[in-house]
Amino acid sequence: MTMLEVSRVSHRFGGLKAVDNASFGVEQGEIVGLIGPNGAGKTTIFNLISGALEVQEGSITLRGEDITRLRPDQISRRGLARTFQSPKLFTGMSAFENVRLALIYGNPERRFSHEEAEREVNRLMATMGILSDRNKRVRDLPLAGRRYLEIARALATNAEMLMLDESMAGLTSRELKQIMGRITDLRNRGMTILMIEHVMEAIMGVCDRIIVFHFGTKISEGTPAEIAVDPVVRAVYLGADS
Amino acid sequence: MLISTILREEKPALVAIPVSIVALAFAPSVVPESIGISLITVLMFAILALSWTMFSGPTGFVSLATAGLFGVGVYVSAILRDFLPIEVLILIGGAVASLLALAIGMLTLRLKGVYFILFTFGVASLIRSSVAWWETNVNGTVGRHVSGASNEVIYLLLLIIFAVALVGGFLLRHSSPGLALQAIGENQEAAEHIGVNITKLKVLTFAASSALMGMTGAVMATRFRYVDPSIAFNPLFSFLPVVMAILGGLSRLYGPLIGVTILVVLQEFLIREYPYVYLLIFGLTLVAVVLWLPGGLVELTQRLYIRLKIQWIKMRMRITRFRRIRQADRR
Repeated sequence: MTMLEVSRVSHRFGGLKAVDNASFGVEQGEIVGLIGPNGAGKTTIFNLISGALEVQEGSITLRGEDITRLRPDQISRRGLARTFQSPKLFTGMSAFENVRLALIYGNPERRFSHEEAEREVNRLMATMGILSDRNKRVRDLPLAGRRYLEIARALATNAEMLMLDESMAGLTSRELKQIMGRITDLRNRGMTILMIEHVMEAIMGVCDRIIVFHFGTKISEGTPAEIAVDPVVRAVYLGADS
Repeated sequence: MLISTILREEKPALVAIPVSIVALAFAPSVVPESIGISLITVLMFAILALSWTMFSGPTGFVSLATAGLFGVGVYVSAILRDFLPIEVLILIGGAVASLLALAIGMLTLRLKGVYFILFTFGVASLIRSSVAWWETNVNGTVGRHVSGASNEVIYLLLLIIFAVALVGGFLLRHSSPGLALQAIGENQEAAEHIGVNITKLKVLTFAASSALMGMTGAVMATRFRYVDPSIAFNPLFSFLPVVMAILGGLSRLYGPLIGVTILVVLQEFLIREYPYVYLLIFGLTLVAVVLWLPGGLVELTQRLYIRLKIQWIKMRMRITRFRRIRQADRR
């Protein structure tokens, strides 16, 4: 089943066409990587899908439902959650409160008792391996902890699909292996994931499929093995003569 | 979840809030009359500062529309005072201010930072100018006389609105919408992406807090007894609650109340002793508060308390070490 379908989407910033006629799909339970050099339009695509930017042309559907004109909170409540390039957490709150707030607002149809909410938040934090940090202030968490917390917060909205924007940037190789493992675990539990990443080791290691963008246009799509040998992609990344 | 959280985490407040309301209810009968009259001013500013803090405190959207919303309440009372009892006027004043806030909210809450501040200040000025134009050109008058109410009635009504503001502010701080407002203040984009309908939450909170401002205006019209746009929409009603709330501190519910008490006492002293320079001194106080006390007196007290505690622990460690050395010497 197709989880996300992006059809002929374009977006301009004044005279600059940041995304040009982009079309791609993400199947349920897949991990799809979105790669490309800086300025390729990857984050703009994330912003268009999540509702942060208005879609000027084209359409986006989630599980067949048109979400093109929906607000970010409406999209979030339909099961699509995202993280940000630089973690956007509520720094004045504890890690626990960050996740609890997402649990309450991401599931408006459910009323959680205090104990239920606590149990659920603890479970989500344990999934991302940060249960011991639950009472820490966000500003006291290391970068990896913040990345995990942002993912736990996204999961708390009852997400069926996660969009991870450079969640591995700035991590040590040990942390990288750890987060790759946890992302694969999420997929094994049925989560659909679309991720922007510059760390090629991670992209090649966890993705089922990779989509390559350059100057707002999709230039290639395929399995990690196909992308690794694609001459167009090699030219974009390594120069025309390679 | 709200009740269980409050019962678990806020036991002192559950005692402090009713005690302070009861103490204020009995205050006029035990203090001299002059202080009783000052208490009316304290209550008025306390409501304005508390209601301003409900919205602007957590979100960081500094509204300067308070004078407009308060003034609308004043004018509702001034126009309808001869036809309706004051209790009904309070409700109408609150409703009109709330509806006006809904309209302002729809127009302005998408704005951010300084644009929002300027727009709300502009809206308050626009309401004032519109009322002035209407009174002069349509009614052929500058101001209106309002049938007064006794100080006891005014005090009691303000106390009831204050109690509503205090309990409302307390519940909001401990509820999910309160946490979501804080989230909006910290990172609006992230709040939106976890499912918070930020426009709806901001507009409704702004409208609810504005109702309290309009209600206060409706009561105060009976104390002013004569109102014109310069009295009802005095820009100080926009600025003073902000300064008072910031001076006391926004992080705690009682912070604005501390700021209100200090500044009302200071204001009355300055008006009495230095009537020509009191606004200048008030302005300097605002600058000093913003520059040196961004967290307010509450945060300053907390910092001092922590420092004193550290010093106390260090002193006890020194004494213990000294005793051990002495005991070792004796042996």
